[in-house]
Amino acid sequence: MHFRRSVLALSLMSSVLALSHLSAHAQKPGDPPPAWKQGMSAESESSALHPFNPIFTGTEAKDLQIAKLKVPAGFKVEVYADGVPEARSMTQTENGTLIVSNRLAKNVYAIVDNNGKREVKTILRGMSAPNGIAVIKGNLYVAERDRILRFDNIEKNLDNMPGGKVVVDGIDPTNGPGHFWKYLVAGPDGKLYFNIGSPQNITSPNQMQAAIFRADPDSGQLERVATGVRNSVGMAFHPVTHKLYFTEHGRDWLGDDVPNDELNVLNKEGESFGFPFCHQGDIADPVYGKYNTCAQSTPPILKLGAHVAPLGLRFYTGKMFPAEYKNNMFIARHGSWNRNTKQGYDVMRVVLDGKGKVVKYEPFLTGFLTDEKADPPMWGRPVDVQVIADGSMLVSDDYNGVIYRISYSKDAKIAKLN
Amino acid sequence: MKKISLHSNLMVVALSVTTFFLLSTLISVALLGRAEAADIEAGRQKAQVCVSCHGAGGNSEIPDFPALAGQTAQAITTALYQFREGNRKNAVMSPFAANLSNADMNNLAAYFASEKRLTPTHVSSAEALAQGPDMAKKYNCVQCHGPLLLGQQHIPRVASQQHAYLLAQLKGFKAMTRADMDGNMSSAASVLNEKEIEILADYIAGLNR
Repeated sequence: MHFRRSVLALSLMSSVLALSHLSAHAQKPGDPPPAWKQGMSAESESSALHPFNPIFTGTEAKDLQIAKLKVPAGFKVEVYADGVPEARSMTQTENGTLIVSNRLAKNVYAIVDNNGKREVKTILRGMSAPNGIAVIKGNLYVAERDRILRFDNIEKNLDNMPGGKVVVDGIDPTNGPGHFWKYLVAGPDGKLYFNIGSPQNITSPNQMQAAIFRADPDSGQLERVATGVRNSVGMAFHPVTHKLYFTEHGRDWLGDDVPNDELNVLNKEGESFGFPFCHQGDIADPVYGKYNTCAQSTPPILKLGAHVAPLGLRFYTGKMFPAEYKNNMFIARHGSWNRNTKQGYDVMRVVLDGKGKVVKYEPFLTGFLTDEKADPPMWGRPVDVQVIADGSMLVSDDYNGVIYRISYSKDAKIAKLN
Repeated sequence: MKKISLHSNLMVVALSVTTFFLLSTLISVALLGRAEAADIEAGRQKAQVCVSCHGAGGNSEIPDFPALAGQTAQAITTALYQFREGNRKNAVMSPFAANLSNADMNNLAAYFASEKRLTPTHVSSAEALAQGPDMAKKYNCVQCHGPLLLGQQHIPRVASQQHAYLLAQLKGFKAMTRADMDGNMSSAASVLNEKEIEILADYIAGLNR
């Protein structure tokens, strides 16, 4: 606690210094730069890089460039559902009904079987950035930008959802632009885990920011389990060790190749992962790095690439894929905007050994990125990964409002080899 | 929104334009008769209601109604989607969007994007012409909207947009009442004072004259 307090004191000091540092590029004395431009170096002032946005009205399955997608031999990728606006986070009910959410599109969807035909059903409307969704004991929890709501017994109520009950509120400390969306996951302890991001690209966070929290779904009590996490929009618990693994987006405007985005694992509750002092475990921040060393925080277990925007991650717990895929981790990389040559836009496979050490990091689903220099460089953007009952894997694509299914067949592999 | 009555009156006037449009559309569809032109042609058909306020071909002549001609397709689908789902609310626009399918929106967007934006009627003041270009750089407009403010992908073309519409949007972003992508525009507009908003809108509305 004492350590943390001294860190906070240092952060306050550093934010004062940071303001004076930034004023060199500020527009008017005292004007903060816009959230996305914050922390930009003088050299990158004239950058024309811009964020991408989903096509809200979606792309129909027939218009997708699905033939461009590549998966390893024996695997097959197909469209599972289209017409799911800005499809981002996915979760499942105990009965296997897929629930899909998003950051900007305001609605929550269920994908149900309607006499053998897959149907996208809007189950909640008018939500405020409902990016986080999780199911515990048949109840759906939705993390909006400022609160977590509970919807009871959803499987029976898909056509007529009851009103949401507030579980936690006050989790949007700024009510302003910047990293306000949440990722939500149910822990093996029956509790909810979610992020509160840094309000800006690089800044000194307050105690409610740049952290991962645990919420008791019954009492609403909050505990901070990790700090120094700039923004994590993908978390999963290891099926055997039950440790929390999470992706983290690195800061912008330090250059095309640094810092790497991170894959982290939480070994000790309350530990810091470095933000804003240290990036990718070994790069001191040009401003905040003076106040804390990288040795004072936990480094990532894997550097995921610079500006690749890693989002959803899941462990493969199904039975359809070959045995070597058991408990492998799959990470959706949404793809960069803050990089002159684009990278990411794929799903990566991570293999851990028995001690939790990364022994392999390789592409699993590629082909969305068609021209790394073009604008836009891609025709689709993976967001979240989900393993469903038959052992196949679903991948959401918010750009097109589409969900893909990746399946495996030994016969297909043999046919291909022949 | 205070212009609803004006809108209704102009709608009557605009009906003649619409009729002309309907006829020319029917003729062009008959002449072309190509399946691959379906998107734009379907959009043109569907746009008969839109043009009564947004002007023939989307070249609005009414200050409060944005021009849609030459707008990027994704900016149009984004706006329509937001009106339908309630992210953006407008007494005139929301009811029109409420009944559009995603396919309608894509077609409408393809049609308006394919039309040419005519020379705007707005004439920028000397002050706006002098200060506007630097201000558009200084306040980061050009980073996303492009060096000529012609927009790209979901980022709308703002060059030669209706002056009153631009003013209302910038004020809305600053007040955080206008729907946004992750707050990027609110963030950009938050540092502008009223005078700067006026100069920027005045300058941008008169571009490409």
